[in-house]
This record gives sequence, C-alpha cells and structure tokens, in this order.
Amino acid sequence: MRADSALVAHAGVAADGRAERRRRRWKTAGRYLLLTVLAVVVLFPIYITIVNSLLRPDQIAGHPPSLFPNHPQWHTYRIAWTSGHMGRYLLNSAIVTTLIVVGQVTFAILAAYAFAFLEFPGRNLLFVLFLATMMVPFEVVFFTNYQTIADLGLLNSYGGLVIPFLATGFGAFLLRQAFLTMPRDLRDAASLDGLGHMRFLWRVVVPLARPTVAALSVFAFLSAWGQYLWPLVATNTEKVRTVQVGLRQLRDTSLDNVNVTFAGVVLASIPLVILLLVFQRQLVRGLTAGAVKG
Amino acid sequence: MRRIRRILLVGVVVTAAATSLVSTAAGPAGAASVKCPVNALDQAKSKPVEIVMWHSMNRANEETLQALTDKFNASQSDVRVKLVNQTTYGDTFTKYRAGLSSGDLPDIVQLKDTELQGMIDSQSVVPIAACIKADKYDTTDFIPRVLDYYTVKGTLYGMPFNVSNPVLYYNKQAFQKAGLDPNKPPATLDEVRAASQKLVDTGTTKYGYAIKVDPWYLEQWLSKAGLPFVDNGNGRNKRATKVLFDNKLGVEIFSWLDAMVQDKLALNTGTSNIDDMLAIGAGNAGMTIETSANLGTILDVLGSGQFPNVTVGVAPMPGPVGKGGILVGGAALYVPKKSSPEKQAAAWKFIKFLNEPANQAQWAVGTGYVPIRKSALDDPTLKAAWAKTPEYKVAYDQLVTGVNNVATAGPVFGAYDDVRDTVVNSITAMLTSGTDPKTALHQAATKANEQIAAYNARIG
Amino acid sequence: MSRRGRDALLGYALVLPSLLIFGVFVFYPFGRNFWLALHRTPPFPGLPSKYVGLHQFGDVLGSEEFLKSLRVTLLFVLYTVPTGIVLGLLLAVLAHRELKGIGVYRTVFSSTVATSVAASSVIFFTLLNPQVGLFTYWLGRSGSLSVLQDPKTALIFVSITTIWQNLGLSFILMSAGLQSVPDDLYEAAEVDGAGARARFRHVTLPMLSPALFFAAVVGSIMAFQAFGQIDLLTEGGPNGATNVLVYSIYRDVFTSGNDGVAAVKAIALFVIVLVLTLVQLRFAEKRVSYAR
Repeated sequence: MRADSALVAHAGVAADGRAERRRRRWKTAGRYLLLTVLAVVVLFPIYITIVNSLLRPDQIAGHPPSLFPNHPQWHTYRIAWTSGHMGRYLLNSAIVTTLIVVGQVTFAILAAYAFAFLEFPGRNLLFVLFLATMMVPFEVVFFTNYQTIADLGLLNSYGGLVIPFLATGFGAFLLRQAFLTMPRDLRDAASLDGLGHMRFLWRVVVPLARPTVAALSVFAFLSAWGQYLWPLVATNTEKVRTVQVGLRQLRDTSLDNVNVTFAGVVLASIPLVILLLVFQRQLVRGLTAGAVKG
Repeated sequence: MRRIRRILLVGVVVTAAATSLVSTAAGPAGAASVKCPVNALDQAKSKPVEIVMWHSMNRANEETLQALTDKFNASQSDVRVKLVNQTTYGDTFTKYRAGLSSGDLPDIVQLKDTELQGMIDSQSVVPIAACIKADKYDTTDFIPRVLDYYTVKGTLYGMPFNVSNPVLYYNKQAFQKAGLDPNKPPATLDEVRAASQKLVDTGTTKYGYAIKVDPWYLEQWLSKAGLPFVDNGNGRNKRATKVLFDNKLGVEIFSWLDAMVQDKLALNTGTSNIDDMLAIGAGNAGMTIETSANLGTILDVLGSGQFPNVTVGVAPMPGPVGKGGILVGGAALYVPKKSSPEKQAAAWKFIKFLNEPANQAQWAVGTGYVPIRKSALDDPTLKAAWAKTPEYKVAYDQLVTGVNNVATAGPVFGAYDDVRDTVVNSITAMLTSGTDPKTALHQAATKANEQIAAYNARIG
Repeated sequence: MSRRGRDALLGYALVLPSLLIFGVFVFYPFGRNFWLALHRTPPFPGLPSKYVGLHQFGDVLGSEEFLKSLRVTLLFVLYTVPTGIVLGLLLAVLAHRELKGIGVYRTVFSSTVATSVAASSVIFFTLLNPQVGLFTYWLGRSGSLSVLQDPKTALIFVSITTIWQNLGLSFILMSAGLQSVPDDLYEAAEVDGAGARARFRHVTLPMLSPALFFAAVVGSIMAFQAFGQIDLLTEGGPNGATNVLVYSIYRDVFTSGNDGVAAVKAIALFVIVLVLTLVQLRFAEKRVSYAR
C-alpha cells in the first residue's frame, strides 16, 4: 500500500514537474517571440533601405510595396559611388575623422599628463577652464567659427574641418581621472630608471591607461564621423565634403533615382557597422564613459 | 587675420562716413562713378589672365556651362576662366558674404534674382552698366524685361545669365480621358478650377491641381495683373519700404488656393519641388505649376516609361489677366570690385562671349533656360531643338508677351528671402491650420513689412 | 633651471596647444556672442554695426518667432527623451536574460548606433514621401498632404526618426546600467518573496536611477542641440512647426545674415544647456555623497 502511494506520489510530483517544464517552455517561446517582433521593428528601416537600394524606382513606388528584390539593381551602388561621389565622401570622412581622433586623443593625453603629474602655478584654474569648455555647446559658437575659418582661408579644406575640434575638455578630464588612479611609486620608480616625463608618459602611463584611451577614441570617432552642422557650413564642393553632408547632396540630386539614395545610405553606414561589430566592447565603454560611474 | 581686421576697421569708418551722407536711395550715390576698365586687358603684364567664376549649376546645366567655358578658353589666349561649383545659390551667397571680409572672392559670381538689393547694398560690385557704357556695348537685341529686372535707378547691376519662369505642366492623357481638350490647357485660375472639377468628377485623377507652396507664384500673379509687389516703383525708384500684395487681388488669390483645397480639387504638396510632379506621375493630380528650369529633368522623369499614363504638356502659367506679364527669374552674373582691373576686363570679355547669339542658343538648348536676346532664335541649333521639343519655347514666349512696365520689371527689396518665408508660412497656415484667407494675407503683409523695415534699419 | 621650474614649463607647454584651440574656437566666439547681441549687425561686412544695448535681447527673446522656436524645442525634448529612455529600458530588460542566442538580439537592438543622424533622416525622409513612400502608404496617407508638411504631424515624425536613431544608444546605456546591478540584491529580494514586477520596482529602478538620470539629462542636452534631422526632414517648416532653436540660429546667420539676432538666441541656448549640466553635476555630487 505504502509502495503504491509512494509510486502515486512520485508520479504526481513527476507530473507537476512536466507541467512546470511545459509552462516554462511556453514562457520561453513567448519571450523569443516578443524579442523577435521587437527586433524586426527595430531593424526594419535598415532592412528596407538595403532592399530599396536594389529595387527599380517604380518598384519602390509600387503598391503593394516590394519587400524583397527579385532583380537586384546592383548598379545603384556603382552610381552612388562614382557620380554620386560617395567614394570621395567616404574618403574625406575617413581622413577628417582620423585626424580629429588622433588630434583629440593626443592633445588630451598631453594636457591630462600635465594636470595629473606636473605642478605649475595656475594649474587648477587652467583645469577649470578646460572643464568650462564642456559647458559651451558647439552650436552656440559655430557661426563665429565659420567667419574665423573663412578669414583664415580654410573654408572648404580639411584644415577647416579638423582644426576647431583638435582640443577636448572631456578627453582631458577623462584621461586625467585615469592617470590619477595610477600609484605614486610608479612615477618614482620611473625617474629612478632615468625616464624623463615624456618617456614616462608614452612608455608607462599611456599603455596603462589603454582602456580609457580606447574608449575616448571610439567616442571621438563616433562624434566626429556623425558631424553634420559644421561640415554643412564649412564645405561647398565634393572635394572635401564629408559623408553626412554628402547624403544630403546625394538625396537632392537623385530625386528621380531614389534607389541610388538608398545605396548611398548603405555605403555611408558600412564603417559604423564594422565599428559596431568589431569594437563592440570598446564602443560600449566609450558610450558609457562617465555614465554609470556618474 | 589681424591685417584683414585692420583693413575692415578702416573700411567701416570710411563707409560709415560715406553712407551717412547718402539718403535712403535704392542705390548708393556713388554707383554711377564706379568705372569698368574694359581695356585693361591690353595692359596686362602676363597673359592669359586667369579668372575664377563661382556658379551653382548642376548636372546637364553644369555640363553645358563647362562646354561653353572650354570653348571660350580655346578660342583666345588672353583669358582663362576657371569654374568653381558652389552647389546651391544659397551656398554661393553665403560664401560671397564671408568672402567680403576674408578677401576670398571670385572674379565673376552667379547669384540668384532675389539677391539684387543685397548686392547693391553691399557696394561690392562693378555695375554692368559701367561696362556697357565704357565699351559702347549694344543691348538693343536683348529682351527688355530681362534687363529691366536687374536695373535699379537706371543702372544695370548684374548681367542676366540663366532666365526661367513658372509654367503649367499638365498630363495630356488625363485631360483627354476627362473630356478636356489637351491642346487648350487652362489660362486663368478659374479655368484651372473648372478643369480640376472635370478631372475629379470623372474620376480621372484624385485631385485636379497640385499646389506647390511657392512664394514666387504670388509675385508672378501680381505681375501678370500689372500690379507692383512693393512700393516706390517696385523698389526701383527708391528703396522699398513695404509690400503691396495685401489688396483685392491678393485676397482673390489666397481665397482661390484655400477654396481649391477645401473643395478637394487641389492637393497641397507643400514646398517640395518634386512631390507636385510625382503627384502627376502617380495619378493624384492632373496639373501643376513649376519652374521652366526643371523642364529637362521633368521630361526625362515623366517620360522615362515609369509613368505610362502620363504625357507631359507645357503651357504658359495660368493667372490673372491684366496690363502685365510674367516676371524674370533665375540668376545673374556680377563682377566684384575687388578684382584687379585686368581681371575685371577679363570677366567682361567672358560675359560678352556668353551673350553672343550662338552661345546663348547653345546654353538654351543644353539647359532649357531662356536666351536673353532675340537674335538667338535665328540660330539653327536652337530652331531645330525648339521645333523638336516646343515645350522649351513656352518660357520664352511668356517673357516677350504682355506689357513691359514697373510691375513686370519685378520687385527689388531687402530681406527678400525672409519675406518669401513669411508668405510660405502664411499660405501653409491657411491651407493646413484653418486660417482664413484674408487674415493669412494680412498677417503675411504685416510680418513682411516688419522684416523689410528691420533690414532697412540695418543698412542705415 | 631647477627641476621644478622645468616641470612647470613643461606643464604649460603641454596644455598650450589645447588652450590655443579653446581660445580661438571656444572662448573668443563665446565672448563675441555678447558683443554681437548688443549690436544691430549689418547684412554685409563693411557696413557699420549699431550699438543697441539690451534692446536686441528684449526684442528677440520676446519675439513670437523665438518663443515659438523655444516651445517647439521643448516639445521635441519632451517627445524624444522620455520615450527614448523607456524604450531603451524596455529592450534592455527584455534582452537581459540568459537565453540562447541573446547576443544576436542585443546586437540588433544596438544596431541603430550604426546609422548617423543624416543617414536615418534620409531614410525616413524617403520612406515618408507623400507620393511614393512606404511608411506613408502604411499610414494610409498616400497621395495626400505629406506628414512632414502638415504642422500637426511634422514634429511627431521628426521625433519618431530621432527616437529610432537614438534607440541603439539608449539600449546600450540601459544595458550597461542593468549589468551594474549586483546579482545578490536580486537574490535577496527573491528570498524575501518578491515577484518579477516587485523586483523591478524595488531593486532595478532604484539602482538604475543614476543611469536613468544621466540618460535624461544628457539626452535633453543632445535634444536641445538637434539640427541635422530638421535640416534633412523639414527645414524648420511647415510654418515653423519644427523650427528648433539651433535651426533658427542657423537660418538667422545663413539666410538672413543677421548675426546679432543669432547671438542672442545662442546665448539663450547656452544658458539652457548650462542649467541642465549644473543640475546633472549637483545630482551626481549628491549621489556620490550617499554612496559614501
């Protein structure tokens, strides 16, 4: 009798376990469904952009709309690259962004070193000045900078696109913080080894601060790559026009060939896609720099 | 930069002293005394003299301009012209204004029609009239209205270059299907309404007329009726101080637009310069008004096979009938004062080249712009092109019909673009937010007058 | 020279390049704004500027155009910032699970980081075309007034474009915040019998509040500086319905040539952003003191 009831009891528990597992499976399926629906919604504009870049204009305009290219019009990419100037625009963006990132990181490293490791009269005041620049949005000063760049003869040139952005208060602040966390005896050991300041900086400090430097670089890259207002006013021709303003230009000149515009958007986004996939960790750190720690 | 700033400071002091002596005239008293050194090329130390021209022509228009420039450069060894494309009229003007203080200026600059008062007030150009006088250049062959547009207080400031005006684009197939005569398109606003009614009632198109909210059209409708747009002789006798469109005709026009939308006879396609044409292509409208400058692109797109139900017809712009006519639009060429005498002479030489009848014909055929002189019509290339595609002739015919008077010379005033924005905003408010036509018109006029007054105050 | 003297000289030398750039491109233009704001500037260089004192401040700040622009900007911030944070948080919570393949979903949710403001604006501009746009078709407005040319809807669609474009960033920020919440807090709450919703309310949200606050303030600052999407979608229209502050400044300079008016608005923008930044700094300070 007891064995029977034990069996029944055991069967009962097993039955409960199965029901529990089944419920959990529905719940998981439900979760996957919700996630997938949301993913489709988020991804849809990107998806339709790629699709439209391969459709004919009448297919894009057609009702019902085509959601898959059956006869892909690959030539739109060639048109966007050559007569749409996207190749030139991407090159310009690459040059300008690289120069800005290298410049900003270098200037920030130098300034942060001074603030963290050197003593000089007025150091705190100067640091406050650096911080103060973070309070002045670029949109507040851009039109005077336009006249300044014009007066310097740098309109429509790489110099005009890069020079105003070489210094960054945020970068100096971030790196100074990172440098300050380094132990004091590091500096003492280095000077015992006969290392001057500059060697100490580039051989010891910067390698140790690599994560912060990487984060700053990514942040600076995203920021410089996406600039729109300044390249819009400071450039006039495709000689130095960057890819963001180039998209506007492409759109305006391809009104009758909308698929070329979409191809241009895809081309313009490829560098960022690579960044997202390859440097995802640094990207996250760069974007959240200062966020979580407050 | 400091040297430029110092020169600027001296310039400001001198100009302040000089302008304080000048009354609020439309043109500075000293305009007549600016000379055009047409013979300076002979004394040039080194030839060819290189000059730079800023323009904003694109696609086929740019190709045609380049072809003409290459032809000029190859035809003689005194002058070499280098073209620099600044992309849009707005960009060119912004760069020009920045160049007035940085010193980076071209030797010829192409600026749109509405910049005229600004160019006069900047006191930075050699009036073309001076070159015409010094060179004894004959302009009797030129279309009078075209020269009148750029003439203020008797002085021609810019040489008209690319001339366009609004025309009616309509779908001949839709007209046929609706029982309208495709060869007799509407000529007045009432006829546009009647045709729209037919198109909608027969279910041929969703709406009859696509409304592009373009302030230029208001100026054109007033001019067609023979009415000036601003005071003081349309700004040509004295500096303009207020707009004159807040009148009976203005109310009629605004009311017409409003009624067309309310009665679902017209579709508001906003400020876009492609959506009105796409509406025709998609069968949502049967006609619209657009600039003749886009004729080439429109014929390409709507005739590309993508829209088999569309055959494009082009007709004069419908509007009020009166002692007036269509206005000049487009852009003109100016010669900055800052250039050295031989560069100014070189610029004048190139401008004369562009004005030659054969070159005017080549320009018109390649772009669809209107030639500015009558003898261009005798050119065989132009004759053939216009025989093949007579749509191109419509814009020209409009320009030489009607009366040439102060109304059709067109308005000249400062803050032009601001006033145009105000007109756009008022029409938008009327068509989308329920403002009634009279109020919208009055609000537009009040705001416009404020903007003109503010501009005039800044000129001193 | 003593070592300290050499160090000091080196210090100055290292900050000098940055200071030079700041001087020319930050401090000088910032100061010049005040000069410009006090003068009625001519439409062309070479003509005199007239000193008008604080009158121009009063004229501009009290003008219907500026007030409308300010209202539009505030609405834009209100539409985009809270929505963006909520959506980002929602996605982050849903993707914060130990499911197989969750990494793919995380990448998809971050993907809009790969589109710039210009790219996303061009995409939405074309998809919202009144005659041939796919989104217009889905909205049932094909062949009607464009949503971007209708004052009732223009700002909403500019906001939608912005929210979508910022979704990736919002997701990344919220995810990072979620990851920083220690697991033992959740375990403790579970032991106490708290269900999922209660855990979210009493553990997640409070621990996330610094990240939420940061996202709100930084998001608002970014929204006040919006320009690209307006230039590409509506150019400030229709009838000023999307004429945000920065776009208004841009038009004052490049269409009207009126630097004096632009400078007044720029100073107003600066003050707004300054207040927001100071609020963020005060809050960060308070939170740090609590943590201690």
